[in-house]
Amino acid sequence: MTDHAPVLLVESLSVRRGEQLAVEQVSFQLARETDTALVGPNGAGKSSLVGALLGLHPRASGTVQILGHALGPSGELPRAVRSQIAYLPQNLALQGRFPLTVGEFVGFGVDLPGLSLAWLGNKRRTEAVQRALERTGCQDLAERRLSELSGGQLKRVLLAFCVVRPRQLLVLDEAQAGLDAPSSERFQELLLELRRQEGWTVLQVSHDLEMVRRSCDQVLCLNRRLRCSGAPDHALSPARLAELYGPNVVPYRHHHAGVPGHG
Amino acid sequence: MPGFLAMADASGLLEVLGQPFMQRALLGGLLTGALGGLLGSFAVLRQLSFFSDALGHSALLGISLGILLGVNPTLVLIPFAVLFALLVNQLVARSGLPADALLNIVYSTSLAFAVVALSLVETYRGGIQQLLFGDILGISWSDLTVIAVLLMGALIYLALSLRAQVLLTLNSDLAGAFGVGASRHRLAFIVLLAVVVAVSIKAVGVLLISAFVVIPACGGRLVSRHFPLYALVSATLGGGCALLGLLGSGLTNLPSGPCVVIVQFAGFLMALLVSQTTPRSPLTAGPAGLRIPGAGPVDQESR
Repeated sequence: MTDHAPVLLVESLSVRRGEQLAVEQVSFQLARETDTALVGPNGAGKSSLVGALLGLHPRASGTVQILGHALGPSGELPRAVRSQIAYLPQNLALQGRFPLTVGEFVGFGVDLPGLSLAWLGNKRRTEAVQRALERTGCQDLAERRLSELSGGQLKRVLLAFCVVRPRQLLVLDEAQAGLDAPSSERFQELLLELRRQEGWTVLQVSHDLEMVRRSCDQVLCLNRRLRCSGAPDHALSPARLAELYGPNVVPYRHHHAGVPGHG
Repeated sequence: MPGFLAMADASGLLEVLGQPFMQRALLGGLLTGALGGLLGSFAVLRQLSFFSDALGHSALLGISLGILLGVNPTLVLIPFAVLFALLVNQLVARSGLPADALLNIVYSTSLAFAVVALSLVETYRGGIQQLLFGDILGISWSDLTVIAVLLMGALIYLALSLRAQVLLTLNSDLAGAFGVGASRHRLAFIVLLAVVVAVSIKAVGVLLISAFVVIPACGGRLVSRHFPLYALVSATLGGGCALLGLLGSGLTNLPSGPCVVIVQFAGFLMALLVSQTTPRSPLTAGPAGLRIPGAGPVDQESR
């Protein structure tokens, strides 16, 4: 794949949820090392779209190519391509006293997918985990249970899981949901920093339009169909937002001094 | 002093241990308990505790069918358990109803048919207690071989798929995006659990089988921070409690299955005590898990 080829290429993608189409005829592409936000009201089909892109939900029609490789009908991808994708969910199902430490969890990300003794400690894996925890400011959390973490800590640990080995495409599904404003700000700063260092191409589902305006290169406005796309100032204009969310939505702009990426 | 306690002396113990059927029972208990604890450590996290209970009750139908057809019930039980697992898996996937409600429907119906079937077999009424509470003293060398092979198979599969099982438990989308074949591993684990429950029923009985899966795992979870250690402690608790329970049963002539479960409960209480008295038990610093050298003490950042 050449440097100019898109990391993700989606053509005429439709996704069915039950009897209805949740996503209809959506096409877009993500250029290398760009940060794209997927926005839209609740029920717009954002999670269905992300699920289909990752091969988790079946497609009704259309094609998806990741790093030049077509996603199979049941989400099949060559192992080498699959290993280039990182996904950061909204949350983990952590019941009380979940017997897994932060170090163990991040260590699961070191080796490529497949059956293996990926939980055994060895020098290479331990060093990779230590480096990832340091880069995300989680080094003091290594021996903590995952279920003992605060929301903000858990999101940083999930980023450590993504950064523990090189990847190219990072998909975030409302990663900042449930975080208070300062934690959300810190998470976004860390994400930006890691994106620059790692050369990640990012696709993030978000409801935080102000963050999207400050941080992202491209916005995709989804409400079953792709309603608009382009640079944030263009795609998030009051007229476009009214079209996407309804006429009663008034975008509130607040200004943050010294936030990286804030133009 | 009650008579059964008076028997509990050294000569009584040696006499009991000298019996071949007791040696087989002890080995069977050790293996079955360890197998239940190992599978249970995963099943409890995957919220499949009720699955083993429901399967245990439903297995009575498999046993009844075996009796009615004149076939060895143990031979019918394994395919029956696998069919039950596949049926529940399909029902959960297709109906969209909660798994616990579906399990309830399937196991209540199975139990109803089983009781009707057993009422038709006059000669088996006397053995109903063995079905309900197990007859580990009747375990044979061929039963032991099956359990040992199953334990080895479970160990190999779970060791190789530990990462996939944990990621699936944490978030199935995260696991899928990572490259874990979610439906394949989910099905494989359910079938393995079904086979283990089916094989263990002879020793443990249909009413107490879920205790073998749930209690050691919950005890292990109380005292373990690292996942490999958690699985190891659960299996050890399962095997150890079964051994002690059977020895107690042999010495006191009390029913074996219930004795094991009572010892398991005592083990669980001890684990609870350990977890309450030592916030970071020595057990939590396991050798097998991935540990980070130089990682600082647990910080006190607010949650």
